[in-house]
Amino acid sequence: MVKSIHIEKLNYVYQSGTPFSRRALTDVSLDIKTGSYTAIIGHTGSGKSTLLQHLNGLLKPTSGSLTVAGNHITSETKNKELNELRHHVGFVFQFPEAQLFEETVLKDIAFAPKNFGKSDEEAEQVAAKMATLVGLPDSVLDSSPFELSGGQMRRVAIAGVLAMEPQILVLDEPTAGLDPKGRLEMMEMFEQLHQEQHLTIILVTHQMNDVANYADHVVVMENGGLIANSTPERVFSDPDWLHKHHLGLPQTTAFAAKLAKQGVPFETLPLTEKQLAEKLAELMPQSGGELHG
Amino acid sequence: MDKMLLGRYINGESLIHHLDPRGKLFLSFYFIVIVFLCNNWETYVLMAAMVMLFVKLSDISLGFFIKGVRPLIWLILFTVLLQIFFSSGGQVFWHFGPFTITDQGLINGVFVFCRFVLIIFMSTLLTLTTTPIEISDGLESLLKPLTKIKVPVYEIALMLSIALRFVPTLMDETTKIMNAQRARGVNFGEGNLLKQIKSVIPLLIPLFVSSFNRAEDLATAMEARGYHGGEGRTKYREQEWRKNDTLAVILFIALTGALIFLRN
Ligand SMILES: Nc1ncnc2c1ncn2[C@@H]1O[C@H](COP(=O)(O)OP(=O)(O)OP(=O)(O)O)[C@@H](O)[C@H]1O
Ligand SMILES: [Mg+2]
Repeated sequence: MVKSIHIEKLNYVYQSGTPFSRRALTDVSLDIKTGSYTAIIGHTGSGKSTLLQHLNGLLKPTSGSLTVAGNHITSETKNKELNELRHHVGFVFQFPEAQLFEETVLKDIAFAPKNFGKSDEEAEQVAAKMATLVGLPDSVLDSSPFELSGGQMRRVAIAGVLAMEPQILVLDEPTAGLDPKGRLEMMEMFEQLHQEQHLTIILVTHQMNDVANYADHVVVMENGGLIANSTPERVFSDPDWLHKHHLGLPQTTAFAAKLAKQGVPFETLPLTEKQLAEKLAELMPQSGGELHG
Repeated sequence: MDKMLLGRYINGESLIHHLDPRGKLFLSFYFIVIVFLCNNWETYVLMAAMVMLFVKLSDISLGFFIKGVRPLIWLILFTVLLQIFFSSGGQVFWHFGPFTITDQGLINGVFVFCRFVLIIFMSTLLTLTTTPIEISDGLESLLKPLTKIKVPVYEIALMLSIALRFVPTLMDETTKIMNAQRARGVNFGEGNLLKQIKSVIPLLIPLFVSSFNRAEDLATAMEARGYHGGEGRTKYREQEWRKNDTLAVILFIALTGALIFLRN
């Protein structure tokens, strides 16, 4: 598989060279394959957002380097060279609705494609398409983004990022502050993009359920370094290790772990409801027999 | 934006940190006044020694204070040069048109430089060891007598503390929105003038929107908790005058005496 992102010995220090300097990343090395879905988890302040901001050149490494979609970035990279990179990396920030500013929803969604060289007409076409994709009704396209509900504003902001038609989609807690239904719809939408358009997705989240349901890779961060880089199955198979690092289990896995303590023989802990149901169905005849016997 | 150092509070437990903000504020202003009493080497050395003592007592490294001088260095050098070129009196070293360099002028230049540095060190000491909220509370109590002549001291203090409180928030917000728009292809500070002006719009509008929202939230929260202006309002942060504060005042009185004695 092609490497979409290659990070080598990345170090980052905030306000370096001042008395307030603060180390945020230490020797981070990481590869992310094209078309993969990677979740980054870790305690508050572990450096997740800092790492993400390197992926489209918002921060430049203090030392070390990274290559993203063919663009090599070091501490020396010029700002001019970053535009090309930003075109390929869509970035959804925490509470992205803060970025809305245009008069109409459609114009706001079309803002990024216009900046990256599309004509007004093309940009608005893409914008309309993305608005439908994120589930915005046509009726809101001509209203001001500031008249919408919080959840709708979030959708507008996300559509505005998707409209760049990026190869890599970086999501920093995209569902924080949404209701459960909105959260599920949003996550399903990203999954659909991942499946249909083979977008490489990098998701920072505190929702272990989302990790279990969608990601094929997990990176665990602590104090600015990586402490695990593996699959969800492997990471969630060790509840004690997770607990030690102040991380939780997905609901299903937590439930299965309780069952396992009661003597239900799982080879590996299931991650999703579906896996759990299948596993239990397999085990049913024996245990069912015992129960009724 | 991250490089702003002037006026940043540094958490600490030193003697200076624990002084009453009212006293600190007053003595800082007072210090600026008595710096102008200095007019010879002895007095400047004495003041410098005092400032070094305070720096030492604050447990903050000298580097922070020197960084405070840096942003003003051009202003200082300009004033110093004025002094050097336009002072008269004493032995003339060099003369050209309206410019003269005399030994008196050189000495005055050095003195002006020292005066600037002393004042900057002292005000940096105040802002490094006192939180903005303490400063505005302190200012409120110092200015309280002015309410008698209908100066809206409480309102001014409230505005000041809200403004100070939201400076860091606003700076964070600015960075965040700039990043979000950069990710959407905006290049801040690049291209021709028209382009640059246009690039400010996607930054300013979200900032205004969020500031208004925040102001509304704050007003609602204050009303919900029954805020109604200054008169008779008690404070969560009590200011307490202790023995050390009195000692500091005595020290400054002694200092003034010494200055008057030493100056010529
Ligand atoms: N602008 C900044 N200036 C100085 N230090 C910063 C800045 N932004 C973040 N930090 C520090 O860098 C470290 C990593 O922060 P980061 O935002 O990457 O954490 P995070 O893993 O995203 O946390 P969260 O889960 O809360 O979003 C923290 O210790 C934080 O205090
Ligand atoms: Mg974060």
